[in-house]
Amino acid sequence: MSLDYVKFSNGFEKFMPKEYRDMVEHGPFGKKVTVSQMGSFKEALEEHPMCAGCAMTLFIRLAIIAFPNPEDTITVGTAGCGRLAISQAAIPFVYGNYGDQNGVASGLSRGLRLRFGDKPKDVVVMAGDGGTADIGFQQVLHSWFRKERFTTIMLDNEVYGNTGGQESGMTNRGAVLKMAPLGKKFEKMDMLQMAKVAGCAYVATVVPNNPRRVESVIKKAVLIAREVGSTYIQAYTSCNIEYAIPTDKVMEDAKTVENDRYQFTEYVSEEAKQYLTERYGYKEFLPKPAAAIPNKA
Amino acid sequence: MYLVANVNVEICASKSCKLCTQYCPEANTIQYSEEMGKEQGFKYGSAYIAVDRCKGCALCVWVCDSLAKNNAIKMTMIDQLPKAALTDNITYGDKSTTAVLASPMVG
Ligand SMILES: Cc1ncc(C[n+]2csc(CCOP(=O)(O)OP(=O)(O)O)c2C)c(N)n1
Ligand code: SF4
Ligand code: SF4
Ligand code: SF4
Repeated sequence: MSLDYVKFSNGFEKFMPKEYRDMVEHGPFGKKVTVSQMGSFKEALEEHPMCAGCAMTLFIRLAIIAFPNPEDTITVGTAGCGRLAISQAAIPFVYGNYGDQNGVASGLSRGLRLRFGDKPKDVVVMAGDGGTADIGFQQVLHSWFRKERFTTIMLDNEVYGNTGGQESGMTNRGAVLKMAPLGKKFEKMDMLQMAKVAGCAYVATVVPNNPRRVESVIKKAVLIAREVGSTYIQAYTSCNIEYAIPTDKVMEDAKTVENDRYQFTEYVSEEAKQYLTERYGYKEFLPKPAAAIPNKA
Repeated sequence: MYLVANVNVEICASKSCKLCTQYCPEANTIQYSEEMGKEQGFKYGSAYIAVDRCKGCALCVWVCDSLAKNNAIKMTMIDQLPKAALTDNITYGDKSTTAVLASPMVG
């Protein structure tokens, strides 16, 4: 894990496919790329078999661009749609058994710290709502209670998409799905509150119809996890197949859902605010200058 | 036959909004070229589609029509495009890309 792993081995350059050469020469490694430069640099993410128009795909694409040090990042995933794309990026990917991802990431991030000391190596878990809130629930919660220093991202499409439409804990009450024909009887789980209770240093909700916000929350979450503690991002990433959303309406749906139940929220612990300010020069947590505070009198 | 996105350079190159590039779910599919518009005498560069990567979802059409309000992207049958960009013919530069357009049809 360093810039070396994306270089060509001596003598092999001319045998590598164009996409690989582009990635080495014009990829995101060792420099800063941003969402506003999309379309002008070679991305670490390659082609993959996720469905056309899938919002989860867009979110994963944005998230990978937002990683602060892609050459020093390992992603961890599990069964579910997202791994089909996450595994097709020029970033090492570890596939945990369904539900094991936060246990795997705990060991991995501890091991990397033993091996590399203070040099930051970022571990980012991306798993579906079923993988995170149902099958992986106890490993997710325990990793947070243990304050394991890595980022957990829930790709919340509010359904088990990969297996054809079973309800998950994150499905909304009343939703009728192909394999939940009577409609869900229970409320959507409040994983955000649980993340806060379990002591996460950063908790945010985000929807991919705001690419720059996705970029900003991913960056903060990954940086905070380097030293302060667990970080959690819950992203609404609709499944256009199981919810029958026409693909050209996927962003319209994201907007509607954002207004309904996925407004942007961000919790940053005091320690994390101080860390981002002092270590990475964030200005947003500094006390506001007196003149900027509206006069309440 | 199948549909792929197609950008009207004339419209796009007079806008410089680059919005659709941030919304396509597929990586390196909507690309941006500073030259593409300027070469034809327009003010800005233009977005264009690497049609071999486009999955035909039309999400970008919604973005250009409803967010950017520019109506520059139309879904088009791939055999109706005399010339298009393909990944093999795209060159990356420092801040932009260039594409040599060719027939997307094989043979
Ligand atoms: C132990 C185990 N049980 C069941 C499965 C089958 N399985 C694969 S993907 C999946 C559902 C994934 O749903 P979710 O985590 O919500 O992700 P999505 O596909 O919706 O993104 C299931 C049940 C499995 N791979 N392993
Ligand atoms: S099944 Fe749903 S979540 Fe999975 S790739 Fe397709 S649209 Fe996306
Ligand atoms: S959204 Fe439309 S006008 Fe804007 S860059 Fe894309 S194609 Fe051009
Ligand atoms: S149709 Fe879909 S896949 Fe093709 S360029 Fe537009 S957003 Fe990307």
